Amino acid sequence: MSSNSAMLQSEDVYRRLVETVRDYAIFLLTPVGNIASWNPGAKRLKQYSVDEIIGKHFSIFYPEYDIANGKPPMELREAAAEGRYVDEGWRVRKDGTRFWANVTITAIRHEAGELIGFGNITRDLTDRRDAELRYRLLVEGVTDYAIFSLDPTGKVTSWNSGAQRIKGYTADEIVGEHFSRFYTPEDAAGGLPARVLNTAFTSGHYEGEGWRVRKDGSLFWASVVVTPLRDERGELIGFSKITRDVTERKRLLDKIQHHAQELELRIAEREQVNTELEAFSYSVSHDLRAPLRAIEGFTDIVLTDFGKELSPQVIELLQQVVQSTTRMNRLVQDLLNYSRLTRIEMEPAPIGMASAIRDASMQIEEGLRKHISVSVDRSLRVLAHPPTLIQVLINLIRNGLKFYPHGATPKVEISARLEGRRIVIAVRDEGIGIAPQHQQRIFKVFERLHTAAEYPGTGIGLAIVHRGITKMGGTVRLESTPGKGSTFYIDLAAA
Amino acid sequence: MKNDRTNHKDPVVLLVEDDASDVRLIEVALRRTPGSIQLMRVEDGDLACDYLSGKTPYSDREEYPLPITMILDIKLPKRSGLEVLQWLRSQREPIRLLPTLMLTSSTHRKDVNTAFENGANAYLSKPENIKDLAAMLAEFKNFWLGRMEFPDLGAPEKRGVQD
Repeated sequence: MSSNSAMLQSEDVYRRLVETVRDYAIFLLTPVGNIASWNPGAKRLKQYSVDEIIGKHFSIFYPEYDIANGKPPMELREAAAEGRYVDEGWRVRKDGTRFWANVTITAIRHEAGELIGFGNITRDLTDRRDAELRYRLLVEGVTDYAIFSLDPTGKVTSWNSGAQRIKGYTADEIVGEHFSRFYTPEDAAGGLPARVLNTAFTSGHYEGEGWRVRKDGSLFWASVVVTPLRDERGELIGFSKITRDVTERKRLLDKIQHHAQELELRIAEREQVNTELEAFSYSVSHDLRAPLRAIEGFTDIVLTDFGKELSPQVIELLQQVVQSTTRMNRLVQDLLNYSRLTRIEMEPAPIGMASAIRDASMQIEEGLRKHISVSVDRSLRVLAHPPTLIQVLINLIRNGLKFYPHGATPKVEISARLEGRRIVIAVRDEGIGIAPQHQQRIFKVFERLHTAAEYPGTGIGLAIVHRGITKMGGTVRLESTPGKGSTFYIDLAAA
Repeated sequence: MKNDRTNHKDPVVLLVEDDASDVRLIEVALRRTPGSIQLMRVEDGDLACDYLSGKTPYSDREEYPLPITMILDIKLPKRSGLEVLQWLRSQREPIRLLPTLMLTSSTHRKDVNTAFENGANAYLSKPENIKDLAAMLAEFKNFWLGRMEFPDLGAPEKRGVQD
């Protein structure tokens, strides 16, 4: 062991160590700077062989401008004076190419203090320097983001072009200033800048949005990320701050929010209107019909209790009064049904066509029911709002039974078939038919093609059909030939 | 207020109806149907409660006898028919059991449901014409006054319809 340690201390071993190092150029200089030794690392880095370089002055490694400035001898003087000189800078290889070198020159002295020469250790840091440079250019070149750094107290220490573009200050103007000047006076007075740094310091990260002030005093909506910067020992050395101008996004979001609020308001207004409409129709059904009951009832009392005292002409006129109240009553009822169709939410549910048609037929006066024929497969089911579908079918059946020449026996046929994913229901009559020019009109409310004397009605029945089917996502179609009859087709989604 | 054509043996029915025309029509329709009743009428919801609880001016039960049933409209001045029902069913007296028939022009689902929730025993909508009204009241007399069993209301025993 002791002999090993003695061996390791021998100069020979040091020489061998130096000679095996490949990643560092290690060589000795005479006191005036001539090269006295050369290791393989030096050969690899600077491309000179031992024979070529021994005895040459080390300024051969420097670019011309360094030589012109007297840098090599200056470095030796510094090293001699201080014992050590460290430099980073460009050096030149044998083939003229450059590399970024980290150079340490150490003065070597006798025990008596007389200068023997210098040791020179050179490392190639070109890759690291390129990476740093690329990084710096990257940060500086970013114009969409303000990227800058702060010292631990919040004073600006670096400033990229994005920061200049967004905030308006040049690096010269702002480096050294406290970053609280980017905040609105209210935020600054409220202590927001300090809170931002404190949050970043304690939780390792701060993210926020808010109004910030440009150099010209204008405001922008900023999205901010602050990260603490720590050295190798974990000591805080400052903060990095990335700020984006998201004013446009903010404006857009505000606009969307504004629209959303307006929409909500409109929905609320519509609900209000609906509630009022409901109250209105409620009042119509309740109050409008009370006087009708009175007119009808009192006229009936006159006719029944005092009929013997009246002339036939008076009796006929009073009967007209009763008929009018009946019509008015039906009109009010139909109008209520029609307006209810507009307001109600229709939850579609599967319903068997055969049973819907049966329910509708049951609502037809018994004497007329025998004129309805139905051929519908029991398996056919539609998606519909059952009360509305039944009302629609009642109206179509009544319509078909009504429009026959006086004295003729009416006939209505109902059929249904599956077409793809739709079910088409046909209600056919052999009545008087509808001329082509009237075929669209009949679906409008209060549209009538005949006088009440010819065919009584309110002009609402087919409007209810049209609105009801449309609200259930279906369509209504009509095929008709005057004198031959009409077929109404409605189609709805199959269940 | 009292119908002079009836006598004290007739069943007493309280009609709560604000519309004078409807009252006349109901009176006529009742006359046109067999069986006489003593129809007492008040014209708003508050008066209905006063009548049933015997408050002035209804404290004299000779003049304002307790009814064995009530025909109640919904849309009424002051207290609505639905509120009268609520009041009635929360009373301590046996009168809270009073069988009550709603007779109204509203067929609004909400009204129908609330009426039954509040303790209505039946709900009929006013027919469009007097013939239908008479037919309906005839059925009422037959079924309600003729066949139905009545609870003890703390009033004189139910007296049958006189033909």
